[in-house]
Amino acid sequence: MNQTLDIKHQRTQLPRLLMALPEDEVMTTAASFAEHYRIEDIKLPQAGLGLMQLKDSALQDGYFLGEIPLATAHVVLTDAQQNRTEGAAQIMHSEAGLARAIAIMDAVVSAKLTGHELVTQLLARGLTVLTAQQSSRKKMLARTRVDFSLLSSAEEEDADE
Amino acid sequence: MGYVAIKGGGQAIRGAEDVLETLRAGEGTSGTPLTIDAIENQLRLLTSRIVSEGGLYHPKLAALAIKQSQGDTLEAAFALRAYRSTMPRLMETQAQDTSKMRLIRRISSAFKDIPGGQMLGPTYDYALRLMRLDLTDESPEKFRDIARQFLEETPESNLPDTFPKVVEALREEGLLPPAQESVDVPFDITREPLIFPVPRSAALATMARAETGSLLALAYSNMRGYGDVHPTIAELRVGYLPVMLPHPITGELTEAGEVLMTECEVVAMYEDDSNQGKPTFTLGYGACFGHNEVKAIAMAILDRALQKGMKDGASNPSEDPEFVLLHVDGVDSMGFASHYKMPHYVTFQSDMDRLRTTQQKHEDSNNTKMGDAQ
Repeated sequence: MNQTLDIKHQRTQLPRLLMALPEDEVMTTAASFAEHYRIEDIKLPQAGLGLMQLKDSALQDGYFLGEIPLATAHVVLTDAQQNRTEGAAQIMHSEAGLARAIAIMDAVVSAKLTGHELVTQLLARGLTVLTAQQSSRKKMLARTRVDFSLLSSAEEEDADE
Repeated sequence: MGYVAIKGGGQAIRGAEDVLETLRAGEGTSGTPLTIDAIENQLRLLTSRIVSEGGLYHPKLAALAIKQSQGDTLEAAFALRAYRSTMPRLMETQAQDTSKMRLIRRISSAFKDIPGGQMLGPTYDYALRLMRLDLTDESPEKFRDIARQFLEETPESNLPDTFPKVVEALREEGLLPPAQESVDVPFDITREPLIFPVPRSAALATMARAETGSLLALAYSNMRGYGDVHPTIAELRVGYLPVMLPHPITGELTEAGEVLMTECEVVAMYEDDSNQGKPTFTLGYGACFGHNEVKAIAMAILDRALQKGMKDGASNPSEDPEFVLLHVDGVDSMGFASHYKMPHYVTFQSDMDRLRTTQQKHEDSNNTKMGDAQ
C-alpha cells in the first residue's frame, strides 16, 4: 500500500487504517468528540453479516464465496452553532460500537471538525501498522521467489554421477 | 421414516457436558487454556478449514469453535454455521475482484515463467515429512523470536502489491475462451434449496463451503480415472483480498476489511467443437476462505467435471451435479451420520417385530415342508 496517506483518499482508507489499531483506543478517541458535539444516530448501529460475492476468474461468473461479519453505523454530529456533519462506516467487524466510533471519526475527518488532528494522528499510526504488515507479506514473497529452470540433459547426467 | 419424542436423560446430558469439559482440562493443575490467538495463529490451517466450511470468514470465532469442539472440524464448522444463522443479513457485496489480492503465495505448474514471477510463500510442498522433535519442547523465548528474526534477516522488497492473473495471459494468447461478463444473479445457497438443475454459481458456492475431505474424495475419483479432467494448475494463489464496499454517504468504494483466501484455476483438456469456433483449453475454478490449497484444487477439478456433466450429461459420479453437490457438505453429512446415535427405539422395535414375524413364517414354512416330506 502507499507509504503516505493521501488526504484526498483519507475517507476511503479511514476504516482500514483505524481497524489496524487497538479497538479500545479507537472507541475512546471517538467518545471524546461527545464533549464538543451532540452525536446522534441517523441509522441505528448494527452488527450482522454480508454475503460476499466474487467473480470467478475462469469464466467470469458471479457467485457467493460465503459470508463476512459486517457492522454499520451512520451518525450526525451537531456543534453548538447547530452545524450538522454526517459520518458513516461499514466495516468487517462484529461490533456495532466500533462501526459507530469509526463513523464519528469519518464525520470529523470529512469536515475537518475540531479535533480532527487527533484522528489524523491515529490514521498515521494505522498506516504505519499496515505498512509493516504489507512489508512482512512482501518479505514472504521475496524470500521464496523461485526461478525453476529446466534440467538439461548434460546436467542430468552430471547429477546421476 | 417415523420418529417419536423421548424424555428423560437430562441429568446424564448435563453430566456428559461436564465430562467433555473435564477431558478438555485433562492436563490438570499444570495445564493452561489455549488462547484464541494461539489457535488462530499456531493452528492457522485448521482455522482456515473452519472459516471456509463454516461459510463465514470470522477467524476469531472459528478459533473459538475449534476450542469448544476440542478440535473436531465438523463440530466447529457446525458451531460457526449456527452462529451465522442467528445474525441478520445486512447486505450482499458487489463482486470482488481477486486480481486485487495481496498475495503471500503464487505458483503455476503450467509455466515456469509467469508474469510477476512465482513465489512459494508458506508451503509444505517441498518439506520433508519428518517429525520435528525439536517442537516437543519448544522454549517460549525461542518461539517468540522466530517472526522477529525472519523480518530482520529478510531485506525490504519492492515487489508490487498485486499480480496479474496467469489465465489472462493465456486468454490474450487465444488459448482460452474469451471472457464473457455474466449478468446472472448468483444463486444464494443459504436462502434457496438446491433443486436440480442448478446454475454454476450454486455449484461454486456449495463447493466453497464444502467439507475438504469430501470434496477431495470426489475430485480424487476423477483424478484416478473416473473422469477425464487431467488438470494443470494455471495459477494457485493465496493472499488477502480487500473487501470493497460503497461508503454509505459518498458511495465511493471503501475498504471494509480483508479476507484471507485461496484461489485456483486449472486448465483442462481442450475442446475441439467445430460449432463453437476456435478450439481452446477448458477451465476449472476453485476458491475458498482461508488458506486451503487442496480444497481449492479439488474444487477446480470438480468445477470442470461438473461443467462437462451439465453440458453433455454425467459419465462419472464427479460429473453429476446432484451427486457431488448433495454429498460434500460437512454439516449435512455429519448431521445425518450422527443422527443414527439418537434413540431409534420405536422404529427399531418395529424392525424387530417384522423380523420375528418373518422368522416365524419361515419356521412355519420349514415345519410344513418337513411334515410333507415325512
